Amino acid sequence: MNWRLSRFNVVALVFGFSFLYLPILLLVIYSFNASRLVTVWAGFSTVWYRELWNNAGLLDAAWVTLRVGVISAAVATILGTMAALALSRYGRFRGRTLMTGMVFAPLVMPEVITGLSLLLLFVAIDLDRGFLTITLAHITFTMCFVTVVVQSRLLSFDRSLEEAAMDLGATPFVTFFRVTLPLIWPAVAAGWMLAFTLSLDDLVIASFTTGPGATTLPMKIYSQVRLGVTPEINAVCTILIAIVATGVIVATLINKRRDVRRIRDEQMAAGR
Amino acid sequence: MAPMKSLGSIRRDFAPWSDRDAKPYILFDGVTKQFGEFKAVDDLTLTIYEGEFFALLGASGCGKSTLLRMLAGFEAPSRGNIVIDGEDLAGTPPYRRPVNMMFQSYALFPHMSVEKNVAFGLRQERMPRDQIAERVDQVLRLVKLENYASRRPDQLSGGQRQRVALARSLAKRPKVLLLDEPLGALDKKLREETQFELADLQHQLGTTFIMVTHDQEEAMTMADRIAVMDQGKIVQVATPEEIYEAPNSRFVADFVGNVNVLEAKVLRAEGGRMSLEAAAGFTIETVNAVDASPGQTVFYALRPEKLRISGEPLTGSNVVAGEVWDIAYFGHVTSFRIKLDSGEIMKVAMINATRVSPLQLTWHDRAWLQFDDDAGLVLTR
Repeated sequence: MNWRLSRFNVVALVFGFSFLYLPILLLVIYSFNASRLVTVWAGFSTVWYRELWNNAGLLDAAWVTLRVGVISAAVATILGTMAALALSRYGRFRGRTLMTGMVFAPLVMPEVITGLSLLLLFVAIDLDRGFLTITLAHITFTMCFVTVVVQSRLLSFDRSLEEAAMDLGATPFVTFFRVTLPLIWPAVAAGWMLAFTLSLDDLVIASFTTGPGATTLPMKIYSQVRLGVTPEINAVCTILIAIVATGVIVATLINKRRDVRRIRDEQMAAGR
Repeated sequence: MAPMKSLGSIRRDFAPWSDRDAKPYILFDGVTKQFGEFKAVDDLTLTIYEGEFFALLGASGCGKSTLLRMLAGFEAPSRGNIVIDGEDLAGTPPYRRPVNMMFQSYALFPHMSVEKNVAFGLRQERMPRDQIAERVDQVLRLVKLENYASRRPDQLSGGQRQRVALARSLAKRPKVLLLDEPLGALDKKLREETQFELADLQHQLGTTFIMVTHDQEEAMTMADRIAVMDQGKIVQVATPEEIYEAPNSRFVADFVGNVNVLEAKVLRAEGGRMSLEAAAGFTIETVNAVDASPGQTVFYALRPEKLRISGEPLTGSNVVAGEVWDIAYFGHVTSFRIKLDSGEIMKVAMINATRVSPLQLTWHDRAWLQFDDDAGLVLTR
């Protein structure tokens, strides 16, 4: 097998990656631009990051986004894990297919519709729009992602482990916390990470469900860009990219480590 | 003819099932388990006695595992009762039952060390720490794994995992230990060794063991009694010797070991003797009579090792001739398949008692078979 890259492969690789990452790279580079003009390079500087620190509006928005992300991801992880358990455990109850479909529908539902319907609901029940409503909306749309991640883990989960725990005298509650959760936690953690990342970069649903005093970072950026791109925006976006990338990498590593471990276990089992 | 030794248990002093006053320890009373339209267990009644090593034997899908899972509490009977030691278990969840189970996949907790695995059940009982340590040490010693306490299951061999699973299920000193295909995942050599160890362990502890297996050899070597199951029903419950030498039906005869089943018509039946006219065209004389009238169709079950084979014509009763169709040499025995003149195939097993066999038969040679009048069994179903 020839492992060396042919010229064609190198070109394809460079072209593909450029297509994906050139815009992002440009944004990162210009966030370190000394000039106020976005498209003119005037040397390296971290001045916009310092400026950012003094921009109360952006900082506020970032703080709101972070709180919404952490809280909604936590609640979505709990609800999503519970949904995944219900769907994979209660074998064949009436309407199971319907329920599975309904849990996964928000995955493909246009965000505009999710946002609008949530807005209508909040208006109907007369809930003041703000931090709470954004958080609730984010729980709603990230929960199904958690369910997908956790359910795929539960598919390969050996049910006899739970039976063994109960056989040894553990109540279903103890069984869940001592046996099931420790074994599926990488999937649960990956689900939380995914939910957090999704919440962090949501613009559409947040715009629909927000109210006075609760502006998330994507909303802030969007409204500022309409007045013209400033290097400050580049800087804040670079930080966002760093956070999201870290989140994705950590989630991948958690899952990868589990896979490596599982493969090693299987090899040891096969080789005795 | 010498008086036939009675068929019974290998442990001669242990036979509570033939004692009228013995109290049943486990009772399945008219138990049915239905999954939709399918009856996994069908109106089954069975008693098991204290201290017994009991095997449920059957092909996959015969309902044996369902029976075990109902005893453990993972499935609820659709109808009927299950009683252990006088206590009706209906509605008792698995975690409050006085039974423990050893799972086919072992189901060891991969995130816990051997020690933690074994201690898991004791912790649920809120046993004091020092007593847990003592008990864990004791059961690990029992399965000879005292030096592996801090290992994780993935650092153990298949045989060691099996022992951990056994230790974990024994740690709580259950009234009844359930074993689901306990040796199924081991290779042949290890399985044979473990069979004896498991049987010894059971005699030593005196705990009632109920084992599910599809492997007749496993059931025969370990169990005091075997229940042969088919389609959710028990076909026969008896000691291994009885199951092998006195099966009650063609199904049991065929399921356990090798057998030739010859269709035959009753010619005469008197004074405990019977003469049969085999469909293969020869007369069978037998002392093992059953209640059947002349003219009735019966089946004569004959184990391969109870036939003698010869390359010379044989005289006397119960002789039949044929052609050597197949020879398989296993070392300790040689197995022949003889095609009778009527076209039927008879299986014959010859023990190789000497290094060089005096019998030099080869393919397509003419061969004569003979059996004693108490060699086979007449079956009516």
